[in-house]
Amino acid sequence: MAEVSVTSEIAASVWKIQAGPGDRVEEGDVLMILESMKMEIPVTAPSAGRVTAILVQEGQAVEEEQAVATLEA
Amino acid sequence: MSWQPELDELRAREAMARELGGADKVRRQHDAGRLTVRERVEGLVDAGSFRETGAIAGKAQYDEAGRLSGFQPSNCVFGRAELNGRPVVVVGDDFTVRGGSADATIREKPIMAERLAHDFRLPLIRMIEGSGGGGSVRTIETTGRANLPGGIGGGWLYHYTTENLSVVPVVGLGLGSVAGLGAARLASTHFSVMTKETASMFVAGPPVVARLGQTLEKKALGGWEIQTRSGAIDHAVDTEAEAFACARRFLSYLPSSVHELPPLAAPGDPKDDPARRDEKLFTAIPRDRRQVYKIRPIIESVVDQGSFFEMGKMFGRSIVTGLARLDGHPVAVMASDPFFYGGSWTADTCQKVIRFLDLAETFHLPVVYLMDCPGFMIGLEAEKAATIRLGVRAMAALNQTTVPFCTMILRNAFGVAGVAHQPAGRLSLRYAWLSARWGSLPLEGGIEAAYRAELDEAADPKAKLAEIEQRLEQLRSPFRTAEAFWVEEIIDPRDTRRLLCEFAHLARPLLEPRPSGLRMRP
Repeated sequence: MAEVSVTSEIAASVWKIQAGPGDRVEEGDVLMILESMKMEIPVTAPSAGRVTAILVQEGQAVEEEQAVATLEA
Repeated sequence: MSWQPELDELRAREAMARELGGADKVRRQHDAGRLTVRERVEGLVDAGSFRETGAIAGKAQYDEAGRLSGFQPSNCVFGRAELNGRPVVVVGDDFTVRGGSADATIREKPIMAERLAHDFRLPLIRMIEGSGGGGSVRTIETTGRANLPGGIGGGWLYHYTTENLSVVPVVGLGLGSVAGLGAARLASTHFSVMTKETASMFVAGPPVVARLGQTLEKKALGGWEIQTRSGAIDHAVDTEAEAFACARRFLSYLPSSVHELPPLAAPGDPKDDPARRDEKLFTAIPRDRRQVYKIRPIIESVVDQGSFFEMGKMFGRSIVTGLARLDGHPVAVMASDPFFYGGSWTADTCQKVIRFLDLAETFHLPVVYLMDCPGFMIGLEAEKAATIRLGVRAMAALNQTTVPFCTMILRNAFGVAGVAHQPAGRLSLRYAWLSARWGSLPLEGGIEAAYRAELDEAADPKAKLAEIEQRLEQLRSPFRTAEAFWVEEIIDPRDTRRLLCEFAHLARPLLEPRPSGLRMRP
C-alpha cells in the first residue's frame, strides 16, 4: 500500500469536489473539478486506489503543484 | 620488414584505453545502475559503426627503461558513427576516470568533436555525466594556478555550443550527475533527455548548495521532476536504452544539417492514408464551452499513425509541441492543451513556443498549429512573470519564421495571443473547425463591463444579462465572420488530415536547404 499524493497541475479555484475519503477510484476517475480561465478542469486519480483524504474545500484557491488529495494505491 | 612491433604497441595502447578507469571504477558505475561511456556508444549507434578519434590520448606512465607501464585514458570519448544509417558525431564523458572532471579530459578532444560536427555538417549527440569537462577544485593544485573561465584561447568549446545550434541538430543525454560545464553542454541543445533514477542536473551540486543553507539530495535539487518542469531538460526516461532510442527518433525527423532538407519517410516505412477520416474528430470538442478535451488523441489522429514525437511535455504545458509526419513529410506540430489554463499562454508557454518555432525555422520544418487559445494568461502572477513581453517575443518568433505554416482553429482565438496563430507578414493556410469561435475579448465577464448602464437600468438585471448574452451569441457565429470573409474557410474536422497532408505536399517545394537568417539560441 503506497500513499499517493494528488496535486493540482495549475493555479485555480476548487469548483466541485466529487470524491470523498473512503471512495474507491479507478485510474482516471475525476476527484474534483477546478475552475481556471472560465474552464472546468478535472483533477483525476493518477492510479486506482482508495481516497484517504481531500485536502481542499470548494471555493478554495490552489497553487501549481499543491497537494489536493491523497490516495492509498 | 613489416611494422608489426608498432602495430602491436598501437593495439596494446587501444586495449588499455578500453579499460577506462579500471575494473573497480567500472564495477562501481555498473553497481549504480549506469553504463560506461563505451557501452553507451554501443547502445546508441548502429552496430559496429563507431570510428573513434583519439582513443589512445591520455596520461601515460613509463618505467625507468622508458617502457609504457600504465595509462589513464582521457575521460572524453568521441568519434563518428552511424545512426539509422546516417553519419553522426558522438561524444561521451567517462565518469570512471576522475569523475569526468576536466583535469583528465584533454581540452581539445570535446572541442574537436564539436568542430567535426560543425565542419562536416553532422548531427551531434553529447552523452554527459559529471562536470562534462568542467574543472574540479583540485585542478588548482595540479596546474598551480587559478583558471579564468574561457581564459585566452579557451572559448572554442563555448563558441561551438552556441554556433552548432544554428548548423546541425544537437542532442544532449544526461546519464548521471551533471554539473557546471556538463549542465551547460546538456542544456545548450535542441533536445535534451535525462534518466529518472540515475541522473540529476544542476549548476552546482548538493555540497556547494549546502553552503547556502539548502540541504538537498541530488534528485531533490536537480532530478527529472525539477528539470523537466523548469524547462531546462526536455524529456525524462526510465533507462539509458530509452534515452538512446529518443535521440535516434528525434534525429529521424531532421536533416543532418541546415544545408539539407528534412528526410522524407523511406519507401519501406509504414504508410498511412492521407485521406483517412477519423469520425471521433466530429465529437472531439465538447459543445459546452466550459468543458475541456484531450488534445493528444486529436494530434495522433491527424498525423501519420504513430509518428507524433512529443518534446517538452512537462514545461509550458498549455502548448503541446512535437515532431510528426504528414504523408511521410516531417513537420513541427504545436497544439493547445485546454487542461492547462484553458490553453492560455503563460510566460513558460511563450518560452516553449519561441524555442520550438526556432527549431522548426532552423531545420526547415513546416509548422502545423492546432489552436485553442483564449489569450495570454492573466492575473498578478502572470504579470510578475512578464507574460506580455515573453508573449510578444513568441509573436516575434512566429512572425520571423519563413517556413510554411498551417493553422487549424479548433476552438478559441481571443485577444492578442489570438492573433499569434499565423505569421503576420505572409500568407499561410488557415482553417477553422465548426467548433471555432473568436473575438477581441471573451464575452464571459466582458458583458458586465461593456453593458453596465443597460444592466443597471434593467428591472431584472439577470434576465437582461441573459438577453444580451443571447443576442451577442447569435452575432458571434463563425458563419457571420466567414460571410464577411474575415475567416477564409470553415471545415468539417474530419477533413483535417486530408488538408494537412495537402499542406505538407505544398510546403515541400518551398523549403530551402540553406542556413536560416535566424541564429538559434538555447
